[in-house]
Amino acid sequence: MSHYTPIIQQFINRTHQKKENICEHMFAYSAKSGIIMVLTSMGVFFMNLADKIKILSDSAKYDVSCSSSGSDRKNIKGGIGNAAPSGICHSWAADGRCISLLKILFTNYCIYDCKYCINRSSNDIPRAAFTPDELINLTINFYRRNYIEGLFLSSAICVSPDHTMELLLKTVKRLRQEVNFNGYIHVKAIPGANKALIEEAGKFVDRMSVNIELPSGESLKLLAPQKTKESIIKPMGFIKSGIIQNREEKLKFKSAPQFVPGGQSTQLIIGATKDNDLGILKLSESLYNSYNLKRVYYSAYIPVSNHPNLPALSGPPLLREHRLYQADWLLRFYGFSSGELLDEESPNFDELLDPKSSWAIRNLDKFPVEVNKADYFTLLRVPGIGVKSAQRILQGRKVSKLDFEDLKKLGIVLKRAKYFITCKGRYFPQKSIPTNPVSVKNLMLLEDRIKIHENIEQLSFFSLFPGIMAVRENITRISGEL
Amino acid sequence: MLYYVYDGTFDGLLTAIYDAYPEKDSPEKIVPLNAFTDNFLIKKYYIETDVEKSKKVHDAIIAKISEFAMKNIMYAFLSEHENAGTYILDYLRFGFKAGKAADSYLSDDRVNNIHKLAAKVGRERHLLLGIIRFRLLRNNIYYAPIEPHYNTICLLGDHFADRMSDQIFVIHDIKRGYGIFYDKDKWFISDTKIKEDIVFHENEPFYQELWKQYFEGIAIKTRINPKLQSSFLPKRYWKYLIEMK
Repeated sequence: MSHYTPIIQQFINRTHQKKENICEHMFAYSAKSGIIMVLTSMGVFFMNLADKIKILSDSAKYDVSCSSSGSDRKNIKGGIGNAAPSGICHSWAADGRCISLLKILFTNYCIYDCKYCINRSSNDIPRAAFTPDELINLTINFYRRNYIEGLFLSSAICVSPDHTMELLLKTVKRLRQEVNFNGYIHVKAIPGANKALIEEAGKFVDRMSVNIELPSGESLKLLAPQKTKESIIKPMGFIKSGIIQNREEKLKFKSAPQFVPGGQSTQLIIGATKDNDLGILKLSESLYNSYNLKRVYYSAYIPVSNHPNLPALSGPPLLREHRLYQADWLLRFYGFSSGELLDEESPNFDELLDPKSSWAIRNLDKFPVEVNKADYFTLLRVPGIGVKSAQRILQGRKVSKLDFEDLKKLGIVLKRAKYFITCKGRYFPQKSIPTNPVSVKNLMLLEDRIKIHENIEQLSFFSLFPGIMAVRENITRISGEL
Repeated sequence: MLYYVYDGTFDGLLTAIYDAYPEKDSPEKIVPLNAFTDNFLIKKYYIETDVEKSKKVHDAIIAKISEFAMKNIMYAFLSEHENAGTYILDYLRFGFKAGKAADSYLSDDRVNNIHKLAAKVGRERHLLLGIIRFRLLRNNIYYAPIEPHYNTICLLGDHFADRMSDQIFVIHDIKRGYGIFYDKDKWFISDTKIKEDIVFHENEPFYQELWKQYFEGIAIKTRINPKLQSSFLPKRYWKYLIEMK
């Protein structure tokens, strides 16, 4: 037993103590010895489904994405399930995040030892693995009870990237082909896995993602030395070209099979490294522009380890995460570029003000904007006016000129906007409207101050909230609450 | 005070609108029979539901305003708001004049009232798509009890019949005493009363337990935020959620 790492020894001891039976698909891997042990060959243990769910959802929960939108897969005769283009939330967990998909790992046995990750091989946590049958059964039974919108299947790297990808592929393929499941499936493309495997998986799923996790090559070297930038970017390239190729095929043959109709996404960890907001936002921008990503998710780093290469944080940097999401929206739906929002001199977002207000204060010469004349994209640049508000203004002013009272009835919040707009040539009726950046900012903060203190922990993670109103589904889709 | 009292059906309401439209004085209220309480100040006028009249109103709305307006009116009706009937009448008096552009008058109260009610109902409908919970019964029927705030379960049939096309299911509005039924072929609405005890399939408790396990495991402990949770999922819906018990 000398080549066992302490973790595996502990694990085997733990499970032996429970006197459990045999499970045929159990792997354990010792990072230090490099020897793979199939525990069944030593007659080890059985773990019940509830324990596996506990372990493997616990390991999956740091993946932010739960979106089930963007795909319109139809049900087929005798099949079960379909996808709703707007996405549907099925519950909200105690942390306020929406639960849409059964978000779970195939296994949390990992050959890698990434410092920021809860599943790193050197971490002493209980390990488990599903069989494809168990996962299929679980997905179908949850789906039939309307607990979930579909499956989000990810995995730690078990044995090798190819081996892991094969397991994921096998599961999703059987879900589609054997049990005729047509609900939403999101699967991870495993970095380093064979191109053919990733492309094959793309035929069965609605969305694929590769997590970049660390926003720069240096950070990767520091915290995840076994991964490289190339190994992450490569599968993103496969998926992108698969989607483009599929689009061309669809133009020629309507019946061409779908390939990742919901697009691809990725995730970045915020606050585990020294990367600044500008660097992160630039990365997101180029992912949207050159890899056609649907979403980049940001995940506030939650201290899961005390490695010296990691920062000591009291809690996850939620506010910073929130600012990045706000900026991300500005990139995707408001026509902003990263260079407008941040520069080398101030490479991080203001904690007190949202990115759009900060931008507007720096560019006061572009205001005020006349609500009854400004075009759509100019309106979108007014703090407090979002996609829905701008659309409502355009619709409302078709039939009559709008004044401030009308704006209120349209549901437009004037708290921010009043400093930057005029209605029929007039400013918002109040004592004085400041025209220098410092006093505008001060007034805004004055109005905000109490709320900022109360709200730091209460930020609404609106990004996880899909379009809600069926009546306005088309508007929702445009405004992109994916 | 003149009240129009209709039988509570959508056809009844549209008949009332048909009758009220040419009158000079709008009725104070247009109320369904089951929400009507009489008193000696009220002059009441009972509406005889007439499908021909209601169809005329229905077709006129679509022809002169839009499908969108028709949908909003139906949703406003389902809100069961005490003024829904009069709001709809006011909206239509305005809408038939304004024509196709009617719904652009967003700051006009006659339009705004209908949009607000319709949005509330639409929101609840979307929420229910996610939070209906089926329980598998011993007789292989998937059964989902629910008490929605608005009368929205009738808007769920198409979605679930399409999605769960190979399972027999019932969605039961306990508050209003009716349900939608699907028999693997088509869905329909019918009054429902549960007479016997509900007996679960032998596997049902097992999957409920697994779901609870999952629900608990997925929350990140350092981000616990009950206020945010209940702002998305108001407590009034928790009663029938497996994971909240």
